[in-house]
Amino acid sequence: MRNFTRLIQNEWLKLTKKRSFWVPPVLLIVISVLVTVMLYKFSSNVAEIDSVAAYLAGMVGASGLGQFAAILSVVGTAGIVAQEYAQGTVKFLLIRSRGRGEILLSKYTAAVMYTLMMILIAGAALYVSGGFAFGFGGTGAQWLDVLRESAYGFVYSLVYVTLAFMVGALTRSTGVAIGAGLTGSMFGGIMIFKDFYKYVLFPNADLSVYGTAGPPLPGMSIGFSLIVLAVYMAIFLAAGYTVFRRRDVA
Amino acid sequence: MTLTQPNRPLQAGGEEPVLRMQDVTKRIGRKTIVDKLSFDVRRGEIVGLLGPNGAGKTTTIRMMTGLIKISAGDVKIGGRSIQDHFKEAIVHVGGIIENPEFYPYMSGYDNLKQAARMTDSVDEARIMEVIALLGLQEALHKKVKAYSLGMRQRLGIAQALLDRPKLLILDEPTNGLDPAGIREMRDYLKKIAHTEGIAILVSSHLLSEIEQMCTRVVVIQNGKLVTEHAIGESGNAGALPELRIRVDKPDAAKRAIEALENVRVTEVRETESDVICQAADADMPELIDALRRAGVAVYRIAETKKSLEDEFLQWTGGNQIA
Repeated sequence: MRNFTRLIQNEWLKLTKKRSFWVPPVLLIVISVLVTVMLYKFSSNVAEIDSVAAYLAGMVGASGLGQFAAILSVVGTAGIVAQEYAQGTVKFLLIRSRGRGEILLSKYTAAVMYTLMMILIAGAALYVSGGFAFGFGGTGAQWLDVLRESAYGFVYSLVYVTLAFMVGALTRSTGVAIGAGLTGSMFGGIMIFKDFYKYVLFPNADLSVYGTAGPPLPGMSIGFSLIVLAVYMAIFLAAGYTVFRRRDVA
Repeated sequence: MTLTQPNRPLQAGGEEPVLRMQDVTKRIGRKTIVDKLSFDVRRGEIVGLLGPNGAGKTTTIRMMTGLIKISAGDVKIGGRSIQDHFKEAIVHVGGIIENPEFYPYMSGYDNLKQAARMTDSVDEARIMEVIALLGLQEALHKKVKAYSLGMRQRLGIAQALLDRPKLLILDEPTNGLDPAGIREMRDYLKKIAHTEGIAILVSSHLLSEIEQMCTRVVVIQNGKLVTEHAIGESGNAGALPELRIRVDKPDAAKRAIEALENVRVTEVRETESDVICQAADADMPELIDALRRAGVAVYRIAETKKSLEDEFLQWTGGNQIA
């Protein structure tokens, strides 16, 4: 376990020691604050928002800042495998007494941590800016909503981060991985009203719809979506693992 | 200071080779890149891997380190198969494959820390020890992207030595080093091979470099073993050393030498006034006496050695050197 923790530490340092590491978090904070200011100044229905908790619950999910968190998480983590090939450091990494599976898993873990960090940053930025706008308050039920919506926002980001992670491992190209993650997240807004579409990844990625708009397609429920997401993510990871483990490093 | 105080016991008796290549084959599609390559590298040996362009050197090194799969045969490091027991085999290996690649946005120290975290036993003291050995103190906290190729090469060696390997695999270790650096590196590699018993496999373009550093060379061509050869050994084992004797009267010298029983004159070079002959050490005093009796003045006696380059071109049929 110590070995694995140290692999994760390595991966986390590789992400954070880059100067460009700060770009996505800073961008996310700027967008969060800007959106809050714009809403507060120009939106007509802000009167309904009585506390920062209500504001957070509405904004942290995929229909709010969660969308930006997802995109920026994809941008921040898509290169985690591909960069090693681009830099030639993959040889440095793979001639150690560590399995390729462990190495890939440590990379995925670092990507998950990054995604979690982005959701927390979005939450914190919204909390501070929203607190000034709507008052730092909220009922217990509202705070529970915040937790649930944050978790949904995290799952939404994680789906596309995982997609980009797999594509990065398969293609060894950061650009293609980012493209895949972003294109995927755009499909979330498109709805095809056919029965088969409920088994597709995209309409299942945003779990918050079950609390607000109801199931996107008939026959869908939150349990159904969770299973579909779990199956897709397992497939993504298995595909990435199989290819990464077997590939000749030339 | 002990460079590589082994905390894993070295092979008892040193009988088993550190690296054993057994009929190693790599096929890609129908093409055979490396064909049934077998050779050993033992403790304390520095072995040069030579071959013309496209001979399969890089492929061979990559199979050794588990970066690419082996189609047939096996590689054993410290007695463990790189295919079946990758972790147990690779733990004995330190290496630079092609160029020493690092995370450019991190300092040299941070890069070494990265490597250290992927080992079981390397602590801070060992990191500092290796840094001191390679003279990296000055550049330690500079980002690697600001390193010269020579500094990067040193950092590569430092990284390879970190976990006290039994087998050091180096691709072009002196690439990018200045003459002083090359000499330092060569002396250093010889030293660790000698004192610590590390086996070193070096592939290099520079034949003179290999000649000065290695105890043995393995020559491959078209993926096949051409010859395995100890450095300094003449082409046909047991042959007498060839000597070049510079004299004032080559003809008189030739007659005097030919009168001797066990010495053979192979050539007389009139322009340089040299007599080339083959003689055992035991016959030399008599040869010198004979020359003096004949009134021949001797200016120089030197052994003529074929350079590794001459031999290499002979082995590989004059192909361009990779």
